[in-house]
Amino acid sequence: MHGRSAVAVLPVRYPKELLTALGVLAVELWGPPGAPRGEQAGRLQPYVCAVVRNALAFLASGGADAVDGVLFPHTCDSLQGLATLATDFGGWGKKALTFQHPRGERRESSAAFLEAEMRDLVRELEPLAGRSLEAEELARAVDLHRAVDSARAALLDGRARLSLADPELYALLRRGEWLWPEDHLAELERARAHLGAERAQSGVPVLVSGYVPEPLSALGALNRAGAFAAADDYAAVGRRLVREGGASPAADPWSRVVERYWAAPPCPTRSADTGQRLRHLAGLQEQSGAKGVFLHVVKFCEPELFDVPAIRKFFAARGVPVLYLEGELESELSGQAVTRIEAFAEILTTSGRAA
Amino acid sequence: MILRRLRYEAAGRVVGPVLLSLEAWQRARRHRGRTPRGPFGPPLESVRKLRELMTLHYLRGRYADGAVPVAWVTSGFPVEILRPLGFHAVYPENHAAMCGVQRLVPGLSEAVEAEGYSRDLCSYARTDLGSIATGRTPVGRLPRPDLLACCTNICQTVLYWYRVLADHFRVPLVLVDTPFVYGEAKPHHLRYVADQLRELVLVAERVSGRRCDPEELAQVTARSREGALLWGECLAAGRSRPSPWTGIDGFFHMAPIVALRGTEECNAYYRMLRDELLERAAKGVGGIRDERHRLLWDNLPVWFAVREMSRLFAERGFNFVCTSYTNAWAEAGANVDPGDPLGSAARAYTHVILNQDLRNRMSILGRLVRDYQADGAVLHSDRSCKPYSIGQVDLKERLTRELKVRVLLLEADHSDPRAYAAEPGENRIAAFMESFG
Amino acid sequence: MTGPAAIGLDAGSTTCKAVLVDGEGRLLARRIELSDPRVEAQGERILAGLREEAGRDLPVGATGYGRKRVRASRVLTEITCHARGAFARSGRAGVLVDVGGQDTKVVRIGPSGEVVDFAMNDKCAAGSGRFLEVVLGRLRVPLDDVARQVSSADRSVAVSSTCTVFAESEVISLLAAGEPVEGILRGLHQALASRVAALARGFLADGEVLMSGGVALNAAMVAALGEALGRTVRVLPEPQLVGALGAALSVL
Repeated sequence: MHGRSAVAVLPVRYPKELLTALGVLAVELWGPPGAPRGEQAGRLQPYVCAVVRNALAFLASGGADAVDGVLFPHTCDSLQGLATLATDFGGWGKKALTFQHPRGERRESSAAFLEAEMRDLVRELEPLAGRSLEAEELARAVDLHRAVDSARAALLDGRARLSLADPELYALLRRGEWLWPEDHLAELERARAHLGAERAQSGVPVLVSGYVPEPLSALGALNRAGAFAAADDYAAVGRRLVREGGASPAADPWSRVVERYWAAPPCPTRSADTGQRLRHLAGLQEQSGAKGVFLHVVKFCEPELFDVPAIRKFFAARGVPVLYLEGELESELSGQAVTRIEAFAEILTTSGRAA
Repeated sequence: MILRRLRYEAAGRVVGPVLLSLEAWQRARRHRGRTPRGPFGPPLESVRKLRELMTLHYLRGRYADGAVPVAWVTSGFPVEILRPLGFHAVYPENHAAMCGVQRLVPGLSEAVEAEGYSRDLCSYARTDLGSIATGRTPVGRLPRPDLLACCTNICQTVLYWYRVLADHFRVPLVLVDTPFVYGEAKPHHLRYVADQLRELVLVAERVSGRRCDPEELAQVTARSREGALLWGECLAAGRSRPSPWTGIDGFFHMAPIVALRGTEECNAYYRMLRDELLERAAKGVGGIRDERHRLLWDNLPVWFAVREMSRLFAERGFNFVCTSYTNAWAEAGANVDPGDPLGSAARAYTHVILNQDLRNRMSILGRLVRDYQADGAVLHSDRSCKPYSIGQVDLKERLTRELKVRVLLLEADHSDPRAYAAEPGENRIAAFMESFG
Repeated sequence: MTGPAAIGLDAGSTTCKAVLVDGEGRLLARRIELSDPRVEAQGERILAGLREEAGRDLPVGATGYGRKRVRASRVLTEITCHARGAFARSGRAGVLVDVGGQDTKVVRIGPSGEVVDFAMNDKCAAGSGRFLEVVLGRLRVPLDDVARQVSSADRSVAVSSTCTVFAESEVISLLAAGEPVEGILRGLHQALASRVAALARGFLADGEVLMSGGVALNAAMVAALGEALGRTVRVLPEPQLVGALGAALSVL
């Protein structure tokens, strides 16, 4: 990997700027899709989500060979369990790093904790990276990630004027999960050329939310049925998009990393406030003019599933239909799932109305 | 307000005890001359007092609204902080366990499944939300919370569950976010927890309208520690051969250390229970009549089948002499220190079994197997409880290999019978018992 | 009665249905067959037959599992088509429960016959007609005798297994233990009804619930569902053809 080190990273949120500043490539693991294979597949019970089962099977069957370490953010109980399972009971022989982000609203205690935890992560990464963190490098990394987020925001906000189908757009956005940020930024900028002044999407706008756009064919089915993803609240995409106001470039880079972390949209893995999440979703729906909401969740994912009734009730009160699709990171969408997506699109489009 | 307060106190001190004595007298009349039941030893005398204690607690709860501040609390929350402020503490998990035993969960859960709550969510949460939605509860009435107190040391799911409660009741939620302990807890982790405790005191004071008196906090903390130590002594009686009680007894007698921790009634009760257990142990009276094999139980009990399962095992001479779940309550509270209530609570509550890594879990299971001379273990693979269940496949293998015990991994759920296939489950239990020869 | 105007085809995974309708949506001809895996050939044959009966080529609306495999003027999901077919029969908004061979659907139909919301139980056969089919097959009870046997039961024997495969062996154990077959049949129907009712629970409003699908031909199931829902269940006429009807109406 260019002679630099790489770290596999489990979902969802982690201070990527720190890895970039140390010249470490982050290779995010959002699957891989398909049923887990290999002898490790039986180590976890069937009621553990596919995110964790697939990650374990993948890393244990050679996937970890290409990286120097594996980083586990403390996202939920299952990922917590995977982290200790691998380190304590044998995994794949690579260094395991953990990152604990605070939960609940921002408080003095949690702000202090977040910074301390980030500094701790740096101390763990430095030996892997073979160098120590320099303030200048950190400042550059923050600027770079700021630019990446800015480019992603431009594409997502201008989605209706972007002449790309959803599978293409999302394939592009998802390459950010493993490309060097500079390379990803370059291709994001190239994609901005597809942003026109006029509306380019003829389908019905939909707000998509959930864990990860996997399989991409779900969005392909949505497109073929006459709708498109006009606003994004996927954990893997929109929920990690940091929009900064005019943050002063003179602020010390550590503060900027911490601020960027707090500035991300509300995420059910960490939030203690349902109302805040609903307001955020309402904002996305209003700004994009979305006529429906597509909740694309992974089976057994408790942080997401606990919010589903509130989201359904909230949008039902506004007369906005919600499609709930539970997947297991399958490699191909089942016929039944395609039918559900099509039936949902039929509700939204005029062809769904009776004569 | 004063009238309500009077009623609350009266319920606990006068009316309740009178009703309970009447009930006890009636029960004693019915049960006179009853022989011990089947494979079990004579029932514990203390269970009468236990019933009284918990009934009074729930009876008081019916009059708590508007009389005293009410907090709904997770089982692992440092409740010591709330007691000096006069909160009546409700434990939704304890209430849900009761619903589980009484097989009420499917009906309650269906009510919220209709709203879109997945059946894959923790059955305790579905039970609690279902009870709120339907108004149905086996305890008459649960008082509305003025404060929600949530600590993630037992799982992250309580955060998701309690934010639903916060949205529903529109009351403050105080969160104690305990970072998971991989290896050793780092100083900044413990500092974070201690800081959160200091922050939450301010919120709790505002809700209760009282200041937290450091003297009282120290006293409550001392009582909590004593309670945990006394509970530990009760559990330790199980080391005798035969064990004077069953693992199932332990699950029921655990209620006070969870729901009444830090109170004198809790401690008085465990002194009584301990004395009874030691007396039985001295006389060789067993929880089951013919103890031939001693087992460890890991994870929560299967509440809706706890009596049937206990009987199945007891009939073949198998007794659960130790459990990782009951043991957890003896460990955590034993480390609080009245000399430093908040700092010690931060440390103690961060180190509960479910907030520590699998290496620690294995070490606890190993220690229990050795100390209690268990020759087998049943690991309940609880569908509803990921933090407790992940790693059990490996734990089974290690227990078998390193401690030379026979292990059954049993797939079930702690309170939803729809997630348990009874016939195949009982077949596997039978096969497991047969494997002992 | 006006002349033939449209054809609707519902290529389901268990049965393949088709209808010929006139300009007012009235049924002129119908076809029901067990589904052939070679759905293109079967679909073409059925369509050709109806075109011949009509005496001319007509627009075709297709729905169901195999809808994309046949040549049609319009392809819509069975959700939308069932809503339209049910609305054509009932004339008003409401809730439709369709219990088919392999899946179960609940659809909330709006005042113009549009789909407002829907739910499907398509991951587990225990919530569909297949559950009864498997266990009745094992018990060797013919479908046309089920309703009589169930109504003759003096009590219900609970079947608690939530899985079709486990339920089969549970039923065998119950029989071996001497439980009456009629009671077991009633228990089976209640078990399926409670699963269907669980799917429908979030949709119920006051008033009756409409029912369609092959399972609606089983009177015992209709009764059990009504009990489980606490509502009157009205079986639509020709319940298996509701989807095909809706498909035909979509191309009128």
